This record gives sequence, C-alpha cells and structure tokens, in this order.
Amino acid sequence: MPTRSGIKRRRFPLRTPSRSTAALGLAALLTLSGCGLSGGQPASTEKVADTNQRIVVDNFRAPVANWAPESDAAYILSLSGCLETLTKYDSAQGKVVPFLATEWKQASPLEWDFTIREGVKFQDGTDLTAETVAASLNHVLQAKVPARAFSPSVVSAVKATDAKTVRVTTPVENPLVPFRLASVNTGILAPAAYGGATVDPFGHCTGPFTPVSEKAKQSLTLDRNENYWGGDVQLAGAEVRFITNGATRAAQVQTGEADISLSIPASALSTLENAPEVSVLKADSPRTATLYMNNGRAPFNNVDFRKALRSALDLEALAASVYEGAALPAAGPYAPSEPWASSDASSPKQDVEEAKKLLADAGYTAAKPLEIIAIVERAEFSDVATVIQDNLKNIGVPVAIQAKEYASAEPDVLAGNYDMILSQRNRLIDIADPIGFLTADYTCKGSYNLSHFCNEEYDAIIAEAAGTSNTEERYKLYAKAGQLLNDQAVNLWLVNEQATDAVRSNVLNYVQDPLSRYVLTAQTAKSGS
Amino acid sequence: MITFLAKRTVTLVVAVLLSSFAVFLIPYVTPGDPVRKIIRSRVAGDVVDDATVRALGESLGLNDPLPVQYLRWLGDFFTGDMGLSHISRTPVVDQVMPALGITLSLVFVALGAAVVVSLPLGIVAALKQGSKADKLITTVTQSFIAMPEYWLAPLLVLVFALKLSLLPSAGWNTASSIVLPAATLALRPISFFTSAVRSGMIDALDAEHISAARARGLSHVQTVMRHVVPNGLVPLSTLFAAWFAGLLGGSVIVEVIFAIPGMGRLLFDAVVNSDIPLAQGGVVVVVALAVAITTLADFLHRILSPKVSGALA
Repeated sequence: MPTRSGIKRRRFPLRTPSRSTAALGLAALLTLSGCGLSGGQPASTEKVADTNQRIVVDNFRAPVANWAPESDAAYILSLSGCLETLTKYDSAQGKVVPFLATEWKQASPLEWDFTIREGVKFQDGTDLTAETVAASLNHVLQAKVPARAFSPSVVSAVKATDAKTVRVTTPVENPLVPFRLASVNTGILAPAAYGGATVDPFGHCTGPFTPVSEKAKQSLTLDRNENYWGGDVQLAGAEVRFITNGATRAAQVQTGEADISLSIPASALSTLENAPEVSVLKADSPRTATLYMNNGRAPFNNVDFRKALRSALDLEALAASVYEGAALPAAGPYAPSEPWASSDASSPKQDVEEAKKLLADAGYTAAKPLEIIAIVERAEFSDVATVIQDNLKNIGVPVAIQAKEYASAEPDVLAGNYDMILSQRNRLIDIADPIGFLTADYTCKGSYNLSHFCNEEYDAIIAEAAGTSNTEERYKLYAKAGQLLNDQAVNLWLVNEQATDAVRSNVLNYVQDPLSRYVLTAQTAKSGS
Repeated sequence: MITFLAKRTVTLVVAVLLSSFAVFLIPYVTPGDPVRKIIRSRVAGDVVDDATVRALGESLGLNDPLPVQYLRWLGDFFTGDMGLSHISRTPVVDQVMPALGITLSLVFVALGAAVVVSLPLGIVAALKQGSKADKLITTVTQSFIAMPEYWLAPLLVLVFALKLSLLPSAGWNTASSIVLPAATLALRPISFFTSAVRSGMIDALDAEHISAARARGLSHVQTVMRHVVPNGLVPLSTLFAAWFAGLLGGSVIVEVIFAIPGMGRLLFDAVVNSDIPLAQGGVVVVVALAVAITTLADFLHRILSPKVSGALA
C-alpha cells in the first residue's frame, strides 16, 4: 500500500501517539527541537530515483560474532542486501515464497527437495549450485552454537542429489522445513567464505549489495552488485551503521546523517513525527509485553485468580502512558494482525467489580504481597510494574516490585520459584511460524515454559499442528491453542509492541519489515534531492 | 630513584594481576551462567539448549576449575598471547588495540581541551582572588561538576547537530566527530582543573619564597610567571593523570551515546557478555597504562614542585 513517494507502509495504520508522559534525556531535548523545527510533512511530489546515490542505514544491532552466519550477524548481512536464503517469508502475503530456490516439494515424510535457482552467481563470480548450497547449509548445521531454526535437532542431513536439487532430511516429519530455510541464519555463502578459521562474507553473498569494507563495531560499507540475479540495483551503495543507542538513531535521521533509522524508541516518536522530511513507519511486531504468572503455585494455580488479575488491569491506559501510544493493548498471546490470530479477539477491558468477584470466588486472602520481577534490560518495565501494582492494589492484591537482570532471574523462574515476571518474547524467533514459541513456552515439556502451564488438551492441539502441512488448517489449530491460553488466562498479555522505523523523504521503495531482515533490496532507491 | 622505579614496577605487576583476577571472577560471582550469557550474545533470545551450553563450556575450557582457567590465561599472557574472544573467536589483541587507540585520542583531546580552558581560568581566579571574576569563574566551573555526561551529550547534540547542523551527532569518521564527545568529557575535568590551579597558585602566592623573590626585586609579572604559575601546575599534573587513567575505561556512557567503538564500550560489553579473555586483556592494558601514566605524573610532580624536589634531594 504505497502512501507517498514510493514509500510503502505495512497494512497497519499509523496512529498518533499521545503525549501523556514527559520524555527524559535526549527524548525531551529532541522534543524541544521537534517543536522548533516542526513544519509537518512536505508536500507530496513525485521523486525520481538517482542510481548514483548511496544510502545510510542506522541499525540497532552491532555484529559480535565475527559475521558467523549462525549468529545474529546474519540479520545484519540480510538487511544489508548481502545474504540471501533459499526461501523467503513474505509477511504481506503471509506465506513462504521463492528466493534462491525456485520451488520445493516434500519428497517423502522426512525429505524435502529444493530446486536451486539457475543463473545465480556469488559476488565472487562463482556459480550457485546445489553443491555449494548444501556445503553452506552444512556449515550452519555444524556450528558450535547452532541457530535455533536450523540445528541438528530439527534437520538431520543436507545433501545435493543432483546439479540443481538440494535434499533436506528431518528426524521427524516436519511440514515447516520451507519456513526454516527462510531463516536468515540459513543464508547461502560461496565456498570461499569458509576457507579460513572464521566465515568471511565479503564478496561471497548473492544479494544486490556486496560488502567492501568494515569499520569494527561502527559500520559496514557495501557497493552495488552489478551482476545481481534479481535485476538492476537502484543504489550505488550503502553504509549500515551500528548505532545501539536509540536516541542517537533518532537524531541521525532527523539531521539527515542517516536516511533510514531502524527501531526508533517510543520516547523519540513524537519528535520525529513532527520533523520535516522524516516519516515514521509502524507495524505490529511479533513481541508482546507479558506479565508471566507462575501457574504452578498458589494463588496463580487458580484460574479465577488469574482472571481476576486480568480484569483489574487497564491496558488502554498502560499503552497510552508508559508506551506513549507506541504499543497497542494486547488481545491475547498473538497480535491481531497475525494470520493465526482469532478475528474476534479483543483486548480485555478493566472491570474492577468483576475482578473482586473473581477474587472472592478464588478464595484469595492477601496474606503477603506478591512479587513482580521487572527485568532491567527493558527500561519501561519498571513503569509498567508500577502501573500494574496500582491496578492490583485497587482490588486488594498487594504487590511488591523487584528489579533484576534477566540472567539473574532466569534460574528461579525456570525452577518455578517466583510469582510474576515482566518479560517479552519474539514469537517468530525461530521461523515465521509460531510453532516453536507455542511448543517451548506452553507445552507441559516445553523448554521455556516460564508460566509452568500444563494442559493435555493444549499439548494435543500443538502436536496436531506440528504435523499439519496445510497452512490454513495449521493456523486454525494455532488460533484454537491461543484461545485456550486466553480462556485459561495463563498469562497477562499486556501490549503488542510496534516496530518503528524512521525514513527520510528522499528514500524510495522502502518496505518496512517488522523483523528488520530486509531493508536494502534491489528496488530500494533514493532521489537526488 | 631506582628504588622508586622498582616499587612502581612491582605495583604495576600486582595491579595488573589483581585486576585481571577480579575481572576473571565477575562472570562467576554475578547471577546467571557465563556460558548462557556468551550464547545469548551470539544468538539473541531466551531459549538456550542445555546440551549446547555443556558443549560450548567444554570447548572453551569453562568447565575446568577456576584456578586452572586463571593460571592457563596467566601462562598464555606471559608468552604474549591474550587469547581469543569467547564471542567472536578473534584474537583479543586485535580488538583491544584499535579500541584503545580511539579512546586514547578521545581522552587526550578532551583533557587537553580541559587544560587549555582551565589554566587561564584558574590563573585569573587566583590572581583576582575574591573579585567578581573569581566568583564568576568559580561558580560557573563548579556547576560543571553537576552535569553528568548522559545529560550533557544530548544537549550538545541538540544544539550543534540538530539546531545548528555544525557537527555530526555520532560516529567516529572525521575529525569533527571528536568534537562533541570530547566536549562532553571535558566539562567536568575543567571544573576540577580550574579549582586545582587556583588553589595551587593561591598557596604559592602566600609562600615565603615568593616574598623572598619579590624582595630580590622581581616584578609582579616575573614573580608570578617564574614561581607562582609552576606551583599551580603541580596539582594539575596529578589530576590530569588521574582523569586520564579513569577515562581510559570509564568513558562508556559517552562512547555509547556517540557510537564510538572505544575501550569503555569494549570492556562493558565484554563483562556483560562474559567474554572473559576480552575483558581480561582489555583490563590488563588499561590498568598497565593507567599505572604508567600516574607514575609519569609522579615524576612530573617531582620536577615541577620545589618542595618535593627538595625533599628528594
């Protein structure tokens, strides 16, 4: 859905955040600046791509693992237009589409065959073949710290069966193999990339941009790949800067030092929305801030008690105040925009009387304060905890707040020695499908079942979904599982976080990706003025 | 003097060993499993497989007893090998040296600017003791103490990058990149340096040898330039060294805000991610440099201070 000058916005509408809380630090200063500089959006004019232009992208993450493709460095290589995968998840279509593979089929219950695209060359001039693809994927499989999406636990073998076919074998039947091969961690590099002690992506990708130099912990410089298989590349090159401080990213796109700044913090949004020549794009992200409850011990082992807490919360006020409108009240474990979310799910409304009635039904007595752990890695959680504390106090549930680093809280939480913890999870962290999240977080034997929830009916739904090839049917099962979690009020899903990018008006054809996997593409362009 | 040098050498070795051992222990005495922290830094997310944790711990030697791990590092260090980073698996020295170079440049410019500003301010304040100029200088520079970097840095960005478009808001690319971070780091030292120069000179003005100099017929300007100003520099040299040493690893806030890949950020990330070899290597270099700088400052102190020189003689 193009909105102006070729910038494509996701289907999630832009909203104006409220300014109910004062911003601090740079946010406050930028707000002042924004007032001074505000001039609203420039008049829409047709801008023409200038193929001599270079672009600057401020990314929120710096590579730490020396470009190992099985690490998070793969995200940087992918968003930079270097690393490409066999398949690609198109979130607009909600399905996996061809990329370096043109087609795929399930050859047997445990085997998937991928047909490799012909005519593709690596940036070093060598050919992309089934052999090179298999070698690259096997390298990822053998990593000491394997990628979750593509590890020996889910893939048992990869081999070339002929000149253009790669066979992926799984230990158990798995309909989600094409999703796994859309993970950026399965990006394909030329054999020469693996010649040394560490992986070298420079000149060894297949994408529209080839990395030419790196300033350690600062930036990656890329030039246009003149021989890109996907058509003409519209930019001469790019610089991806690693700016971990959100306020700095916001400042750089405002000054014009950066053309695109990813992941803008909520505190800087109102300023940028008033800045000339800058557009703020928002999309639902697969992250929901959640108050995890220990379902394994009293009083949380009583569903009425959990529902009482849910009724006590005012999620609208929480989203508007702490998140300044940069998040939406949650309607359950999924964001409403996700294809597996129930269409009739709605955010729970605060109902204090109902909450008190449910508390009475649960037989709760406020013997001692319950404890909320607010992890310090997410600065907003201390405020979120305070709002929740106030909401629960209104129904007679005293709460104490404890701030902790996640690493220090995790052992107790996994062991079940806690009451509540504020945290958030990326539901699509493994693959563009929630099966990993739903299995790890909520099944009885889930490896990351923080809420210590165990329900046979739920486990049966997830087991059925894991073996269901038909996407539509699988999504229905996910919706059913989500509904069960909601009915049981397993956790308190607070707000769906938004992915927010800021883009200057001379950037053309930018399509926001909530997971920041694809930023620079062959189509990304910049006008000369 | 030989005794002094010998003592300082011993101090250097002891300081390096103690600090490296303290850094080595941090991941083990803080909550959470060091190996899980390493894995999380490579692959963000919360799910960490137990088998992966065990295998990585084994391959990195982190399952060995702590004394064995430390002595192994110590042995490698004395053969000139700082080891490989647990996170990137690249030589520690290849990460430490570039970061150190950047931080040294930043700190040198910041403290150099602080000296250039504070020296005349301190001299004027001392010579005009009790005047309006003295009170103004003292009040303004003292107020710098209360300006933390995390507040000052955005303020400078707002004015000089956003409003005036004179300087880059972040990065380490051109000569102009150093201006705002250096100014941020310089402000608080200016306060301390100005105060030190002022106090040192006021003490000197009251000293007997100044009266003697005047009695020998030296003019006021000659007396001040030959006998008073050098006394103002004595405390400044010590303070300069202390700030220099402190900022080598302590400029992390400025480095994060201005996206500068210096030592502060390197050490902070290394400790948070349990990258023990990188943290140890970085701390060893910083501590050694800090001790060397403070030793140098002691020498300067002796050269500049008539009292100390006299005592040594």
